Amino acid sequence: MAGKTPSLFWRLTTAISLGLLLGAGILAYAAYNYAHTAADDAYDRLLLGAASQIGETIRVEDQAITTDIPVSAFETLSVSRQERVYYRVVGPDGASLTGYDDLQVPQNLLRAGSGPKVWDATFKGYPVRIAAISHYVSDPAATGWATILVAQTRDARNALARELTLRAMALVGIMSIIALVGVVLATRYALRPLHRIEQALGSRDPNDLTPLDIRAPVEIEGLTQSINHFMERLSERMDSLQSMIADAAHQIRTPITALTAQVELLKRETVPAKRKHHLTRVVARTAQIGRLVSQLLSHAMVSHRAQSITASPIDLVDLANKAVADAIPAAMDRDISVEMNAGPQPVFIEGDPVSLREAIRNIIENAVHHGAKTKITIGIEAKESHVVLVIGDDGPGIPAGQWPDVTRRFFRASAEGVGSGLGLAIAADVAKNHGAQLEFAQGENGMFLVRMIFLRASGVSS
Amino acid sequence: MSRGILACLLMLLSVPAVAGTSYEFKAKSAEAGHLRIEGSGDIEAIEPLIRDFQELETTLSVTYVDSLTNDLYGMMQEACARGETVADLVFSSSADHMVKLANDGCAQPHASPQTARAPPFANWHDEVFGFSFEPAVIVYNRNLVPPADVPRSRDQMVDLLRNKAAAYDTRIGTYDIARSGIGYLFGFFDAQQSSAFGRMMEGFGRAHAGLYCCTGELLRDIESGKILIGYNLLGSYAYGRFKAGAPIGIVLPRDYTLVLSRAAFVPAHAANPQAGKKFLDYLLSLRGQQMAAEKSFFFAYGQAAPEGVDAAEPGLQSGIYRPIPLGPALLAVTDRHKKARLLKEWNQSFQAQ
Repeated sequence: MAGKTPSLFWRLTTAISLGLLLGAGILAYAAYNYAHTAADDAYDRLLLGAASQIGETIRVEDQAITTDIPVSAFETLSVSRQERVYYRVVGPDGASLTGYDDLQVPQNLLRAGSGPKVWDATFKGYPVRIAAISHYVSDPAATGWATILVAQTRDARNALARELTLRAMALVGIMSIIALVGVVLATRYALRPLHRIEQALGSRDPNDLTPLDIRAPVEIEGLTQSINHFMERLSERMDSLQSMIADAAHQIRTPITALTAQVELLKRETVPAKRKHHLTRVVARTAQIGRLVSQLLSHAMVSHRAQSITASPIDLVDLANKAVADAIPAAMDRDISVEMNAGPQPVFIEGDPVSLREAIRNIIENAVHHGAKTKITIGIEAKESHVVLVIGDDGPGIPAGQWPDVTRRFFRASAEGVGSGLGLAIAADVAKNHGAQLEFAQGENGMFLVRMIFLRASGVSS
Repeated sequence: MSRGILACLLMLLSVPAVAGTSYEFKAKSAEAGHLRIEGSGDIEAIEPLIRDFQELETTLSVTYVDSLTNDLYGMMQEACARGETVADLVFSSSADHMVKLANDGCAQPHASPQTARAPPFANWHDEVFGFSFEPAVIVYNRNLVPPADVPRSRDQMVDLLRNKAAAYDTRIGTYDIARSGIGYLFGFFDAQQSSAFGRMMEGFGRAHAGLYCCTGELLRDIESGKILIGYNLLGSYAYGRFKAGAPIGIVLPRDYTLVLSRAAFVPAHAANPQAGKKFLDYLLSLRGQQMAAEKSFFFAYGQAAPEGVDAAEPGLQSGIYRPIPLGPALLAVTDRHKKARLLKEWNQSFQAQ
């Protein structure tokens, strides 16, 4: 079993939490910027108000510009009492009139007579916000723009910005928590169909392979369909396995009953000539049973491999040679020549070598036992799009009317004989599993031909 | 301000200093630290506070230097600009000076349960704290001023000077605002508060009022009968003399009564800031406030005026009191144009006749 992966619930919750966290971060930054601007806006108005209050008191007395700093100007700024306040009034000639002489005025403002300005600076070691306004003095004694500067430390602004940010963050936090709780509940709700499937499978009888009847959302309908499809296949396999076991039991029981009868006869027979006859019959029966069992196992193996083995490139020529070698002892018994007609170069197809070798061996053996009089030929023809394996024999062949039936299990062309009825069924199964066709034909020279037509192995050149 | 009454101080060493008079208080037990206070306050008022403080901090020795407010201000400005260490605690009756200094970054913040006790008008930036509650009062000579003449508001004062001009000619006294920091501060807020103030100044001018540097000298002349009525005296000092048996009467003006809160801070450059903060905490503590009400300033925030003072009903007093708030508004008080303007108006009033 593969390593455990994090649960869907945690995956969803973690991903959405991270999203929420990122969103909260962005909102915090935006809220801080907004709060900062809003606080500056609010307090800048006070600063400018104080500056213009001072500006309004500028007049010329005794040939000199003078001011009458109103207490209210500073009281305006004392709305937040905890602020440091600095101010300065500069005359048209650039000379300090009153206030903090070292409060700096930007050069461009000194002469320009431009509108109110507000900027950040540091004064006496404190970060401050400075507002400046210009006030025109027109008097023979002094004419020009006087500048009024009012500065304020940032404590109250920062406190306001901080409070606004914190409030916004509190809202974002509450929303995030609500969203997170929603996600947790929604995730649990969304995963409920999976739990239903789990429960349905868990509480099921092991022999019950009927499809699941569960209403499932579109997203996991595929899963239930796959499960049902899988169960269908499993059910089919179970069925075929059971029928095969039943067939095998039936097929073996008949020859064994016959064998038992033969042995019984042999036991009672006293005439040596007859005993020999019975003994020959027993030997033949035993060989028949041996072949039957061997083919049953071979068939079971081929079926199993079709399900479990993945195809690999194989050389059909090499494989045919090995199958011929397997069949030669049986052929030699009947004095039949086996002829291999294939070039030296390999011909590749995709498939399972063990199954294919079994199939070829069975076709050859079938020819040995039922058909061939003197010879068996094996040929491999490599065509553009496919590869044809031809096994021919000079025997009577199978009547064309029986061709559809001979590939069925336990079908016997003739009532008597040593055949088990499995050889061609195995070959047909293997062909089917390889996407190949199994064909019969009556060739020239009176040869009966069995053809296996394979599609070319893709990407493998011969 | 009366200074140098040294005889009554047992463990006192008087060291003549450039800026003021220095008083030493030895530690009660083995000395483990020193506290230096620069201030402007009569030793009679400050000594009980220092001695009571030393009951709590037995290992601290204390130096108190008493200076005139303007001298103290000048010295602190210079020291602050140069980053020099002057004292561990500074206080002055000229609250505007203290606020200006703190505004310029010469003070260090201090927050404690004790500083939280200070009323809002007596706390600026957790740096400057007002620790006393001293109304500006009218003082008269009980023996020489008939009860019917005693002015209980500025309007009554104006009327008195108009109706009995001859009797009170040269017999009125008040601060010279050019010389006295407190006088200027009171004058500034009087000018803000009341139109009667201008008329009263003109009345003072016509009556050839005497101008004084300090409350002490005013009190002395009222006691001796040289003048009959004094205006804008510090209630604390006046009540001290009253309690000591001086033949004076004290009136809290009923139109409004300005209240000064002596302002203190721990300088940014202090040799022993912890000691300064401890003393500041003591001044603001219940114990310090009670000691001040008993022995030093006699008036206290949230309390009725002391026995023998001619004041409005206690319930009305709080509405009549106008504390001078510690805050940036005091910066306008120190503005040079503002000061020149006020002095000009003041001189014009006095010279109008």
